[in-house]
Amino acid sequence: MSSHRFSRNLSRRVVLKGAAALSGLQLASPFIIRARGETPLRIGMVDPLTGVYAAVAQNEVSGARLAVEQINAKGGILGRPIELLVEDSANDVGTGVQKTRKLIERDEVPFIIGDVNSGIAQAMAQVTAEKKTLHIVAGGHTDGITGKDCKWNVYRVCNTTRMEANSVSDLLFTKYGKKWHFVTPDYAFGHTLQEACAENLKKLGGTVTGNELTPLGTSDFSAYLIKARAAKPDVLLLLVQGSDMVNCLKQIVQFGIDKQIHVAGTQQELESLNALPPEARIGVWMFEWYWKQPNTPHLAEFVSDIRKRTGGKVPTARTWFGYTSMHSLALVANREKTIDSVKLARALGDFELPDEVKLQPNKCYYRKGDHQLMTSAFVGEALSKGAGDPEDLFRVYTIVAGDKTSPAVSETGCTLQWPA
Amino acid sequence: MTQLLLFNVTNGLIIGAFYVLMALGLSLILNLSNVINFAHGGFLVAGGYIAYSITPYVGFWGALLVAPLLTAAIGLAVERVLIRPLYGRDPLYGLLLTFGLAFIFEDGTRFIWGAQGKPVTIPAFLAQPLSDEFFFITGYRLFMVAMVAVSVALLFVLLRYTRLGIRIRAGTLDLETVAALGINVAMLRSLNFSVGVFLAGLSGVLAAGQLGLEPTMGSGLLMPSFIAIIVGGVGSLPGTWVDC
Repeated sequence: MSSHRFSRNLSRRVVLKGAAALSGLQLASPFIIRARGETPLRIGMVDPLTGVYAAVAQNEVSGARLAVEQINAKGGILGRPIELLVEDSANDVGTGVQKTRKLIERDEVPFIIGDVNSGIAQAMAQVTAEKKTLHIVAGGHTDGITGKDCKWNVYRVCNTTRMEANSVSDLLFTKYGKKWHFVTPDYAFGHTLQEACAENLKKLGGTVTGNELTPLGTSDFSAYLIKARAAKPDVLLLLVQGSDMVNCLKQIVQFGIDKQIHVAGTQQELESLNALPPEARIGVWMFEWYWKQPNTPHLAEFVSDIRKRTGGKVPTARTWFGYTSMHSLALVANREKTIDSVKLARALGDFELPDEVKLQPNKCYYRKGDHQLMTSAFVGEALSKGAGDPEDLFRVYTIVAGDKTSPAVSETGCTLQWPA
Repeated sequence: MTQLLLFNVTNGLIIGAFYVLMALGLSLILNLSNVINFAHGGFLVAGGYIAYSITPYVGFWGALLVAPLLTAAIGLAVERVLIRPLYGRDPLYGLLLTFGLAFIFEDGTRFIWGAQGKPVTIPAFLAQPLSDEFFFITGYRLFMVAMVAVSVALLFVLLRYTRLGIRIRAGTLDLETVAALGINVAMLRSLNFSVGVFLAGLSGVLAAGQLGLEPTMGSGLLMPSFIAIIVGGVGSLPGTWVDC
């Protein structure tokens, strides 16, 4: 009996009726089209969530996530909510390129953000240019990205290595002396940063006593420090980053080198200072953004919002990079009412960030000629202990506008080739 | 130039002393269990982070003892649950398992303690260089060398004069005969694995004082230890020690 009923239910007539009903549903287009209009707009982010830059990369992601929440609360991009797809480059060029291709080809993201590692960011830029995808490099500093290797579709939020070098060279020369010795990470970022510092030193009339090229992920710096001390420089400049910076500074203090040679550098990050014991938080540096600035509009809300999402941790420069990258994309797309990469890449030229995004006193805009964000340098010194807050580990001497630290577009070597 | 060479040779010996602990642990496990333990760096990191977490309660000296013991307990559990079923199979299985475990340890550390590095403060009297000329010989580095010397001596005594050590050495040479004599081989392998992991945990605590803590530090410190056991001769503890 039940078999008979089953057979009757699935008769040819029933199947035909079902197919017709399904076709009718497809034809009811207004309903379907409205649903497609609400499909999230996916944005891809590639960063080294594992490896020596994991801490800074995770902060970039948390900044981008906050921006996504804020943008979605205001209607998203062209009425579509944003969905952030985060991929781990594992601090490896091949993996970063593979993940970028996956995001563009399989997930069909119209925009890409990343990577912290300059070498990976440059390789990603090749892919995004080939695929005509708008790409914001949030935290890869090497000059070439907005210099000789610049591309029409690539913008950058963080400083260039040349801007970093320019922000502190004069101060270090006048305050500490004219013989400099470098500890440099042996990849694109380190090479261009060291070249920029050495060039500035030469112009100022100083000399380089040596340059220790150290592999990324070095745990023991003692051999390099022995050589550096033997060269008897006035200043030991640390250009290493991430856990390398932590290891190197710890060993310098353990060896007592800081009592004989001034220790300083260009880029310093709150993530590194947090990972150091108090006695190793020393030196003059530049921060690319700092969470404590008097009288900067909207800064307190940003700090508070991040603290709510990170268990009380304050935002770092990296958090701001991710936040600014995401807001830049949404602001320009909503203003231009398109997600077309070529149109948006043109529109971002000379685009000025509003107060609620720039979160710094100086004017902050993407320079049209090389696509570099003219963002400030926060020059100052590391503090062993925070005065009011345990994470207030940097005393800012001065905030220098990006226009002042950046070389002119004609000196960057950038010539943008736009698609026909 | 001569002075620089002398500095680097002495410095190299100090660094090598640290790798002795790691390499001996690896070698012990490889010899008896035939497992190439790629997770050894993970155990090192676990030891360091455990020390970081318990230092506020038991102090640096307490952590130096307790953290390696807790790491050895984790090692024992891993051996019993995951590695034991692979004995007798192709060594590739153990290699793949521990390779995966290394990633799990790294991500687990990141999940529990965060990606940001952690500072580890060592007793102030150990943090000073001994002299201005030999600035790279700090009290802590000498302490590390002393700890390694004591650990190697204790390991020698364990393997040479205790029943457990004699069984481990016999098992390394001919496990089937040892089993035929009625010795619980499974238990022997577990204890041996724990001793190896204890040494990794101790390395982790010592490294934390020297370098600070960071989830990826294990992989960086593991590779030189592998090189040591290969160059020193696989299966040879003295060879491993000399090579470091």
